[in-house]
Amino acid sequence: MLKKEVKRIMPLINNPEETALIKSANKILQENIREWGMYIALLVIIIIFTITTKGVFLSSRNISNLINQTGYIAVLAIGMTLVIIISHIDLSVGYLSGFLGAVAATAMEFWHWSAPLSIALIFALGILAGFLTGFLVGQMKIPAFVATLAGWLGYRGALQLVTMHRGTIVITNNFFNAIGNGYIPDLSFIPDVGFLRGIHKLTFLLGILVIIFYILSEINRRNRMLYHNFKVSPIHLFIVKLVLMSALIGVITWILSGYRGLSWTAVTVIVVVLFYHFIMNRTNLGRHIYAVGGNPEAAQLTGISVKRITYTVFCSMGILAALSGILYASRFKSATTTAGTLFELDAVAAAFVGGASPSGGIGKISGSIVGAFVMMSLTSGMNLMGIDISYQYVVRALVLVAAVVFDVATRNKKEEIT
Amino acid sequence: MIDRVPVVKMCNIKKNFGGVQALKGVDLVLHHNEILGLVGDNAAGKSTLMKILSGAYIPDEGEIFIEGKKINMASSRDAHHYGIEMLYQDLALANNLDVVANVFMGREKMNFKIGDIGILDEHYMERETERLLDRLKIDLASVRLKVESLSGGQRQAIAIARATAFNARVTIMDEPTAALSVAAIKKVLDLVKELKKQGNSIIIISHRIEDIYQVSDRMIVLRQGRKVCDTRVTGDIDTFREHVVAYIIGARDDYA
Repeated sequence: MLKKEVKRIMPLINNPEETALIKSANKILQENIREWGMYIALLVIIIIFTITTKGVFLSSRNISNLINQTGYIAVLAIGMTLVIIISHIDLSVGYLSGFLGAVAATAMEFWHWSAPLSIALIFALGILAGFLTGFLVGQMKIPAFVATLAGWLGYRGALQLVTMHRGTIVITNNFFNAIGNGYIPDLSFIPDVGFLRGIHKLTFLLGILVIIFYILSEINRRNRMLYHNFKVSPIHLFIVKLVLMSALIGVITWILSGYRGLSWTAVTVIVVVLFYHFIMNRTNLGRHIYAVGGNPEAAQLTGISVKRITYTVFCSMGILAALSGILYASRFKSATTTAGTLFELDAVAAAFVGGASPSGGIGKISGSIVGAFVMMSLTSGMNLMGIDISYQYVVRALVLVAAVVFDVATRNKKEEIT
Repeated sequence: MIDRVPVVKMCNIKKNFGGVQALKGVDLVLHHNEILGLVGDNAAGKSTLMKILSGAYIPDEGEIFIEGKKINMASSRDAHHYGIEMLYQDLALANNLDVVANVFMGREKMNFKIGDIGILDEHYMERETERLLDRLKIDLASVRLKVESLSGGQRQAIAIARATAFNARVTIMDEPTAALSVAAIKKVLDLVKELKKQGNSIIIISHRIEDIYQVSDRMIVLRQGRKVCDTRVTGDIDTFREHVVAYIIGARDDYA
């Protein structure tokens, strides 16, 4: 029996080219398991919900909605990633975003301010709130958990004060409401013929540009890694990865162009992601944030001001909380008494699912965005399936725990190897 | 060497912590291109003395001269300004960053700046790091490796390389060989010798007399806040160690 099995396998093993391929694929999977795991998880979730909802989950309309729903959590998750990288946490941002949304609504509806002015006001308030947290945490050395818990209470109270007399404030400003509900305009000069019939052309075009840009930047990155004597994946695996990722972007583009195209929320999130990705990876500010997270004493000794970094990170969190408040209030065309409830925990969960480390120093913008989509896909899919909210919480809890356990396990394994 | 102005001269340094006299008037001289070993038992005052030189502590009394000029140091930034770099035992590196990022931490080279914030010139920093490691004969597969994946000896080498990268006048090393394997210790000591060859002036604090015996030109022994011995490193290791240990434990106390 055993001999038979060995005989069956032997030719496979003896084929050197094939074994080399399998080996290298294994190795790459092991080395990048953390990152791949996240994408695989998102893919599995999408497939499961597509099957259980008979394709409704993957419909243009639902994906478009999902992206708009994820928007206000995604921007918070990005800010939270920076906070977690410097080993802090910010519990106050959920109600802060709700409160700032209500302030914007009040400014527009009762003070008759224009939308841009109201938005500018709450951005300023967001920075102020971040500065306050930064002062408590960076200057007074109060643990972030405690300082932002106070913020959680305070902003919750502030939100109720603003909405006290009127309850829900309905927003009638069209410009403001378009941010959460509108879509980018289409290119009307392209004729509506062939496969382009009923397709949002600008979205389609942008999708193609993104794919081209992605392929070029990956090739560039691979060449740089080769230059630095890093082990890179063999060329055929690299091509497989390129094809898969391009296909994924292509599918998303196709789905979105089939509905109403790219929403303004999606545009906002993309701009924020690109901006933060750039800051974290290409500038000295990002480098200093990682350094402070990795070893604050060493950072301080080399002349980086830990205090200043703390202020900066919490102020950025405040700005993003304001943005989240805008996206949410605009999406529902109103400010409610419960806006922002539990947003902070969704943002924290998204960051951890996306690979941020609770001990600081580690976390990626791209990871947190995927994490936000994982968490919101779960909500969206389970809502479509009509699963009771109580079960939904339990499922999301399990996913969060699984992600962190997976993270710790793969990280420990890495340490054993070295 | 003796006739030139010493690179560092500390005179009659005193420092109290509450009621405890950590330093009771210590003198120290470091010449150009010299490696000075600083030994002593726990609480002898070695680290306090070096923290004063690196600006972390301010002495109660005494004077410090750099290249013959009297200076006042109020912070480690001042010390950097005078070219004094201190290498702390294990505080030195951020494990989540790669070698290049660690070497240039806090003094990143930038292409384009708006205020304090700028775009990193990775290309330049990479090349400079490679050149630095080459010069110090530190062997690494890639300067883009994360520090957490390096061995203890390699990490210490990177920390030393960083301390000396920016034209330090004096490098102070606090127990550079603590918690390292025998092979790693040898590498670090080779690196120290290489630095001397290239003209650096170094002070090494260590418990391990064997280690600094190999690299030091001179050795100072502190005991209970006083200098009890200041001797050239000569003779074979056994007699030398016997000689120094007698001062460390207080069996001999005849320093004038």
